[in-house]
Amino acid sequence: MTRPAEVKVLEGLTPGTRFDQFEVGAKMNEVRFTITPEIIDEYIKAVEGDEKLYVVDGRKAAPPDVLCVYMTSTLYQKYPPIQGIIMCEVAFGYRHPIWRDESTEVRLSGEVTGKFVKKARKFIQWKGRYKRADGTLLAEVENTFSVPE
Amino acid sequence: MAHDKSQPTKEALRHKVQMTQEKIDRYGKLNGDDDILHYDHDYAVKRGFRGTLAHGMHNMAPAVDLALEKYGKDYFYRGQISVRWTGPVCPGDEQVTVLDADDNVVATVDNVPGKGTATIMVGKSTLRDK
Repeated sequence: MTRPAEVKVLEGLTPGTRFDQFEVGAKMNEVRFTITPEIIDEYIKAVEGDEKLYVVDGRKAAPPDVLCVYMTSTLYQKYPPIQGIIMCEVAFGYRHPIWRDESTEVRLSGEVTGKFVKKARKFIQWKGRYKRADGTLLAEVENTFSVPE
Repeated sequence: MAHDKSQPTKEALRHKVQMTQEKIDRYGKLNGDDDILHYDHDYAVKRGFRGTLAHGMHNMAPAVDLALEKYGKDYFYRGQISVRWTGPVCPGDEQVTVLDADDNVVATVDNVPGKGTATIMVGKSTLRDK
């Protein structure tokens, strides 16, 4: 089992990354983690999910958005976060269920795709891909967040 | 009942949830972040917010559930969700999330000082190649 905190760099542990330090085009290292039935249960409780929705052809699955709690791991390992980051936009494309009756090793990688300033706020954009260890694509993500400075 | 679902019309699906600091803490414990915007009321107020902020991804979860309710199995293979957060959800807020017939997502909270009802998230939760 990998708890998200095990693969994320926490806010406050380092000085954090300033806006001008993000490099567009920079590739993030692949982060590996294992989503277990216990993590899925904890996620469903945390978001008060509706258990009956997470079934595919009679087999229990995880809510696809369980991947959210690992999302920033690859980004934060390359660019440790500063306090006060605000999520602005996110897009997920789900491609395959994560089964609830087994542990799933996931590999997440990504790259910084953009940075810009709008109305005096500073924004970073990046995208990532979640794959199972066997290469099966689980989901793709694109995210925009603002950095306080 | 903090968690309530209803289907007000044939076209729209609706989800309601009450936000508390306890729920923010629980999500944060799993999420593994330590951003004080979620936990330090005074800091959040200094940043111009009404209080601590629920995690944006936490606010998005109902929009995923509503699409799963609508599309079932297909959403696990072809689900597409894109959201933009336009305001915070703070402890004490009731978040109402609606998925309309065209798969648009709108989430609101009530009783925001100076605003009344405030939209906190907009977007789309649908199927790829629909």
